[in-house]
Amino acid sequence: METVLEIKDLVVRFDTDDGVVRAINGISFSIGKERTLGLVGETGAGKTTTALSILNLVPDPPGVISSGTIILDGKDILKMSEKDLEHMRGNDVAMIFQDPMTALNPVITVGEQIAESVILHENLSKEAAMERAKEMLELVGISGSRAYDYPHQLSGGMKQRVVIAIALACHPSLLIADEPTTALDVTIQAQVLALIKELIDNNHMSMLMITHDLGVVAEVCDDVAVMYAGRIVEIGTADEVFNHTLHPYTEGLFDSLPNLRQRGEELIPIKGLMPDPMHLPEGCSFSPRCPYATEACHHALPELKLVNGTHYVACGRYADQAFRIRRNPDGK
Amino acid sequence: MGLFNKQKKDGTEMIGRSMGQETWRRLKKNKGAMMGIAFLVLLLIGTALATIFYDYDKDIIGMTRDRFLAPSWQHLFGTDNMGRDIFARVIYGAKYSLFISFGSTLLGLIVGLALGAVAGYYGGLVDNIIMRLTDIFYSIPYIMIAVVVVSILGTSMSSLLFAMALGTFCNFARIGRASVMTVRDQEFVEAGRAIGLPTWKIILRHILPNCLSAIIVQTTLKVGSNIISASSLSFLGVGITPPTPEWGAMLSDGRSYIRSSGWMCLFPGLAIMLTVLALNLLGDGLRDAMDPKLKR
Repeated sequence: METVLEIKDLVVRFDTDDGVVRAINGISFSIGKERTLGLVGETGAGKTTTALSILNLVPDPPGVISSGTIILDGKDILKMSEKDLEHMRGNDVAMIFQDPMTALNPVITVGEQIAESVILHENLSKEAAMERAKEMLELVGISGSRAYDYPHQLSGGMKQRVVIAIALACHPSLLIADEPTTALDVTIQAQVLALIKELIDNNHMSMLMITHDLGVVAEVCDDVAVMYAGRIVEIGTADEVFNHTLHPYTEGLFDSLPNLRQRGEELIPIKGLMPDPMHLPEGCSFSPRCPYATEACHHALPELKLVNGTHYVACGRYADQAFRIRRNPDGK
Repeated sequence: MGLFNKQKKDGTEMIGRSMGQETWRRLKKNKGAMMGIAFLVLLLIGTALATIFYDYDKDIIGMTRDRFLAPSWQHLFGTDNMGRDIFARVIYGAKYSLFISFGSTLLGLIVGLALGAVAGYYGGLVDNIIMRLTDIFYSIPYIMIAVVVVSILGTSMSSLLFAMALGTFCNFARIGRASVMTVRDQEFVEAGRAIGLPTWKIILRHILPNCLSAIIVQTTLKVGSNIISASSLSFLGVGITPPTPEWGAMLSDGRSYIRSSGWMCLFPGLAIMLTVLALNLLGDGLRDAMDPKLKR
């Protein structure tokens, strides 16, 4: 399979006055051409930092990408010059931000904001770029004549459509969507997701979808990576992770979702909180909250191991051949 | 807001109302600000006409025998110790005061804003170096700076301009830094970086326009205070020297005759006061008009 993005052993830390925050602790994954990878995890798991690393935009200081490689279309982003980086951003990789209310500049018309990226990367004249901006607006379902509107004249859903238009204006090969629907209400969420999916398919793009909403993942993603405390604990195709869940944390995420078919069922929350990234536990980071944890889990850091097909899991309990989690008693 | 009246005549193109139009609409409702603008426009027209109709050598600095005449219909503001018409000199002199105050403010604005924006955007060591440098300038009274600069460069319009810009830029550096810091961490700045904009474009196109209201207001107020500074310097003999009809220099001339011919000081003083008042009214009006929280 042809890969668009390949991340290997990425480590990112933040050196703050209070101590070292270990945000990402050696993650590896790749995204195939025209595939969508969902990156799932709770707040503070390092999802957004991963996204910013791909654009090499981790705020420095205090952020430090201390090791690892990020290969995009055969080139290592972490070794690029600032000039190459500026060329890459927006042109090869584009990003959709979480909150459309703040991702648009309030004093510039939305048309100009879309045109800006086109002018920068494709050397078009201002007029031609504005024409493109209007086409992009039509593409995301907004009348082209709204190009002269300021962001405050648009509704939240329309603003997110504009943000999508900006991201897609230069036909990037990889789109990073950082919780694109979190700030929108549920009906608009569905529309925006459908729109993103349609545009991705039509333009043969790959996507990294960052979310904490498993429903969103089921809707749009081919592959799923589950992140916890800066590490990937389970990764595989959507079918593998959803229907053949292996990691206790993934199980916990599913258990805390309401089930439409069994409405009376009690939700089982994951007890406790995510560990403080300044003081990560010595062994498996999830062991303090894990119902299956043994003494060994608290000391040994499990590695991501291939189980079958493309399905990897990082859980020490599988050293015991007979170990199964509740959700997946067959273990396959 | 703009929803109801942004249909163009042909009814096809819809164009939203820009921030400038919106500000002007609200500014028009402010009586003080409009009076300020009216006074300034009148002053500009007056000084332009005076430049055309008065002969500098004869009417402005030429001596006559009509010395110390009190205000009358012949000489509206009276005449001075050289027999020159004070009305002509005040109107003619407006251009010096206005030019120096606007010029030095503009110079200080450009330099100060550039420094402040860089300091605010990068933070850390760069911020410390730039801001401590401006703190030094801030702590020296502008008159001291001006005296030093003028004594090095000699008394001329350009050295006065330069000296006053030195006293002005630290103000703008502080305002620039503070407003850039409030905008710097917003998501649209990050979004700008994510589409590959170079840093200078982000500062110029995305950050500064968002700080514009604070800067415009400060500029108007600073022009006013720079008129006073320019006049003070001329009064002290450091700025523009007689016989040039600069308001401060005229005040200085009239000082010796203040008991017998008070009008020699009164009218240049009034001119300074009213111009500064007009600028302050305009500045206050602009602040209200540009503050989105006060939208009605």
